[in-house]
Amino acid sequence: MAGTRTVSIDAEQLAGKRFAYQSDISLVESIDLMAATPGDDLNWLEDIELLVEDGVPAVFDRNSNSFLKIYFEIPEGRENELARKVLIKHLTEGNSYGIQLKDVHCKFPQVDIGPWVENPRSVGSDWKPPVLEGWEAPAPH
Amino acid sequence: MASVTSGSKSGVSYDARGLVEPDAEVPNIAEIDGDNARFDATELSTRQINLELRRLVYGENLASVTVVNPGSKHSLGVGILKRCNLAFEGSPGWFAVGLIDGPVVRIDGRVGWSCAENMMSGVVVIERGAGSLTGAAIRGGDLVVKGDAGARTGIDQKGGTIIVMGSVGIATGFMMQRGKQIICGDVGHGLGDSMYDGTIYVGGTVASLGVDCVPGDWTDADTEFVQRKFRIHKLGDAPELQKFVCGKQLHNYDSLEPSERKLIL
Repeated sequence: MAGTRTVSIDAEQLAGKRFAYQSDISLVESIDLMAATPGDDLNWLEDIELLVEDGVPAVFDRNSNSFLKIYFEIPEGRENELARKVLIKHLTEGNSYGIQLKDVHCKFPQVDIGPWVENPRSVGSDWKPPVLEGWEAPAPH
Repeated sequence: MASVTSGSKSGVSYDARGLVEPDAEVPNIAEIDGDNARFDATELSTRQINLELRRLVYGENLASVTVVNPGSKHSLGVGILKRCNLAFEGSPGWFAVGLIDGPVVRIDGRVGWSCAENMMSGVVVIERGAGSLTGAAIRGGDLVVKGDAGARTGIDQKGGTIIVMGSVGIATGFMMQRGKQIICGDVGHGLGDSMYDGTIYVGGTVASLGVDCVPGDWTDADTEFVQRKFRIHKLGDAPELQKFVCGKQLHNYDSLEPSERKLIL
């Protein structure tokens, strides 16, 4: 994938790999969307719909501002449901690039994965500014 | 420089210049009963209330927290990024429960400006009225106001649902980009001005439509959506509603020159 140029951001490019649930419907079939969302309906997931990116069915991950492409055949009438299931699988497994950045860059304590899991881990309590090896601050004038 | 302080009915004096509250010590005053906690915020500053909330939600991992007497203090319950139940017995001030992702919030009283702004997911139910900019830039979740709401309700909305049982002010849905609004009462001037997308349902009269906001065709999906939202939030029967959508004539949808655009709009 390195070297390819696209206008938008691709979740696979950010992660450096393709995830199994992008290609295997059986890995997402059992996901309970209602259990994954607050309230008595799909809540925020209601706005998530199956889109098309680069001619391929895809779902948008707002946590990393990227498209997650779906390669398995999607049965007619289940487009949005399966897009939501693939996205929830991506988020609950912590594979969204935006979530991965939290470990390194959060400057105050917050949950890592988000409200999609029962007891998310807390990150950001021991943030230290990154140090560039070999770099020294310039002498003051 | 002498400090500028103002008294408050809530029992807390604060720096009227808006400087940061220096007391960062967690109050540890909540009464915890199993999975629930409750504390009185009368004597606490905004920062102390939020520190106590975060301790209970994140540190103690409790499912439900009730804040009694919030005293219209601003920015209460902001940035809670976890599934939990929050309740406010009384009225928070401006920017209540902004930037949340997951909580189900019940507010007994009314709220000031910008309640639930930038909410990512969750449910916020306000039993009385709300100020201007209610649900500004929300991205997901349900926001229910059982009274009236002020101007610019759902400005820059990017997802989610805003339900107002009463009326709303001017510029409601201004620059709305996604999501839905159900306004049961009347709407002020400039409804949906410069909206990019999304749907606004109105039960009462509309003083005037904003630029590029037009009536939309009602479908079965609209009926299902409205009835479902009223059912799950126990709001009774939905009133008869008109539907408004984006006419998609603005500059972002075409390559017209400004002079040509004026002819259309």
